[in-house]
Amino acid sequence: MTTRTASRPIEDTMIDPSLGLPTITMAVPMPGFPAHREFVLVRLNDDGLLYAFTSVEDPELRFLVAPPEPFFPEYAPEIDESVFAALNTKDPDRLLLMVVITAGVNETTANLLAPIVLDRDSMRAQQVVLSGSGLPVRAIMNRTY
Amino acid sequence: MLVLTRRAGESVMIGDNVTITVLEARGDVIRLGIQAPRDVQVHREEVYRELQAANREAASPTEDAVQAVTKMLRSAEESD
Repeated sequence: MTTRTASRPIEDTMIDPSLGLPTITMAVPMPGFPAHREFVLVRLNDDGLLYAFTSVEDPELRFLVAPPEPFFPEYAPEIDESVFAALNTKDPDRLLLMVVITAGVNETTANLLAPIVLDRDSMRAQQVVLSGSGLPVRAIMNRTY
Repeated sequence: MLVLTRRAGESVMIGDNVTITVLEARGDVIRLGIQAPRDVQVHREEVYRELQAANREAASPTEDAVQAVTKMLRSAEESD
């Protein structure tokens, strides 16, 4: 993972989400959050397993996101070319996939149906609905390695 | 709600750029073709609503929940 992020204690992220982190622009807002267009990715875990996708406009709005590979090694969704266009993607290898996590004290799930796709060159992102994939919105998370 | 009657092969336009065409009607199943600009997202309503609900549920987790996830990751590492 080459995304530039800073590691800082979790409590700090509530107050100061992002000084100096590159701004990510949503090509399409997250469903349910039409007013939030700009986010930053704040690293919460030294291994790069957990990030807070934090709104620039309202730092109290944040989503926990994670790279899917360590948790769902079989997960390799096909990204439609219309997404490349929306993100101004020139090189698909520069796309970064993150799943949105719903954190519960007893159970944590990840949204495999609609990952956030980020182009690390254009810094544009979109939550992409993998229509027809049959993938779950709430997949129970376990680390497999 | 505006109600229009269309036959298979006929379309309606929404604004200047969105065209919805009835491709086939068989019983209570209607197949639609939708042409829209790239920045217009088209979803089945129930999928979109579910995603909206899931996002709202995921948004701004409590510190306790964040700690629980962090701990889950840490204990997974330790058990390696």
